[in-house]
Amino acid sequence: MTLPVAAQVHFVPMTRYELPAVVVEHRQRATNQYELILHAPPIAARAAPGQFVMLRPMRTHAPLWRRPYSILRANPDKGVFSVFYSVQSAFTELLALKPIGSTVQTLGPLGSYFVPVRTARRHILVAGGVGAPPLYFFASRLMPTLQAGEQILILAGARRRDLLVGLDEFRALGAEVRIATDDGSHGYKGYVTDLLQHVLETDPTDAAVYACGPNRMLQVVAHICLERGAPCQVSLDAPMPCGMGVCLGCAVKVATPDGGVWYKRACVEGPVFRAEELVWD
Amino acid sequence: MGLTPDMQAALGRLTLRNPIMVAAGTFGYGVEYRDLVDLSELGAVVTRSLTLTPRMGNPPPRVAETPAGMLNAIGLQNDGVDAFIIETLPRLREAGATVIASVAGETLEEYVQVAAKLSRAEGVAALELNLSCPNQARGGMEFGVQPELTAQVVAAVRQATDLPLIAKLSPNGGEIAPAAQAAVAAGAEAICLINTLLGVAVDAHRRQFRLASKVGGLSGPAVKPIAQYHLWRVRQSLPDTPLIGVGGVSSAEDAIEFILLGAHAVQIGTANYVQPTIALEIVQGLRDYLTTHGFPSVDAIRGLVQ
Repeated sequence: MTLPVAAQVHFVPMTRYELPAVVVEHRQRATNQYELILHAPPIAARAAPGQFVMLRPMRTHAPLWRRPYSILRANPDKGVFSVFYSVQSAFTELLALKPIGSTVQTLGPLGSYFVPVRTARRHILVAGGVGAPPLYFFASRLMPTLQAGEQILILAGARRRDLLVGLDEFRALGAEVRIATDDGSHGYKGYVTDLLQHVLETDPTDAAVYACGPNRMLQVVAHICLERGAPCQVSLDAPMPCGMGVCLGCAVKVATPDGGVWYKRACVEGPVFRAEELVWD
Repeated sequence: MGLTPDMQAALGRLTLRNPIMVAAGTFGYGVEYRDLVDLSELGAVVTRSLTLTPRMGNPPPRVAETPAGMLNAIGLQNDGVDAFIIETLPRLREAGATVIASVAGETLEEYVQVAAKLSRAEGVAALELNLSCPNQARGGMEFGVQPELTAQVVAAVRQATDLPLIAKLSPNGGEIAPAAQAAVAAGAEAICLINTLLGVAVDAHRRQFRLASKVGGLSGPAVKPIAQYHLWRVRQSLPDTPLIGVGGVSSAEDAIEFILLGAHAVQIGTANYVQPTIALEIVQGLRDYLTTHGFPSVDAIRGLVQ
């Protein structure tokens, strides 16, 4: 008997930990923007680029949900990992108030991760606004594995210059960085997807694309890549009450092998999906 | 002193090791939590609602956070009862869980067929009829707010299974007592209340509903006083029927409140999302409460608040 697609995927294969992570530092990165460094050795040891953690800094009823945060970097030797946050809500204000040495209840690492396409020579990372952190983590792990002739190209976009995240760190890795802003305040004036279109114009066959940002941007990225035949992985955003695969709130529509559609979970089968799998409404 | 209190909960023919269950839909199929929670320590695991054939569910966004609560309009996404019996039930049994299967349907006949399949499977302790899901175009809640329909579904399922039957009812039709009485008269052995409350949420910036299906079901701490009201009211009209209280339980104290109002058992729902180990903490908290105050059993505190 053939089971429906969902029946084959609802068990959680990853090793994950529910634990109180210790706040090591809130490192300011820009106005209202911080890197939160947490000490949690099991999570730091297993985190893969593209994965996320669920954080709960409070035991309040409002805000109620935990929040998912992409992992920005992880140092297994020191047992620490970090996430990037902007102070812009009641939740992030509570997060920002956590003193050094206090704990944040944490579940992770969770979800799928970016998988390097080993046949590609150009690894193109498309970062929209706060989509940059998981791509930075990916670039930092990918860079040491590159063979001669392989390169990483970062295409970073945001509405304004001050909303671009982590440019210096991408450059410090030795990656080439190209920038687009909607208002032209830095780099190309226009969308980061215009840059991608341009980059893939020459020769899409040696490129692999990895993207994280607003879903509208990802839809365009996926479309461009599918049209040009470049393999593409996108990390999707979705409201995520549980992060554990149980509530089915973070539904993402995918094509099934039998030609139908079904909803997968951004928190378990995602957040990183292969572009050809997704069905955009 | 130092005696361990009797934690058992008797709901008609169904006896649980303790009165703390996890609510339908909020614990997946149960197996998703195996690495975080010892399922054999829970009173019971109530599964995601199962339908005759796989259901894709509603389009996203399906969830929205609200003050001390959340709206959901998942739409009963599930792999169907056959996949549950083949794939999931053996794993739940292996994990030592007491399994209560939640049964949903669009028609009376669908409830009957799902219930019949589950009662032929090994390892289902009881059935909970979801007569209260607000996120279905057909069936679901309409069976639970009209007492004559409630009676028809329960009676039909009663014919199809020997398993203990729980009717889960909705607060969206006003007072629950009439439907509860109808369910009991038709053969339900316990009543579970409440399912979620109808609600909407609006995004002021995008000027649109926050759920794709507009209307969803409200759950979480915000609904606890409403759930407790209904539990207390139904307890008055059905003094001898086992009742399962659910709605906004986030701590041992919350669970104890429901038991004081007359609940035989309590389900944990939305709180599972926020703190996956909460149900086990509530089991321990209830045990500690009984010990601290010198009560010999859960039964000893049930209904103390009249």
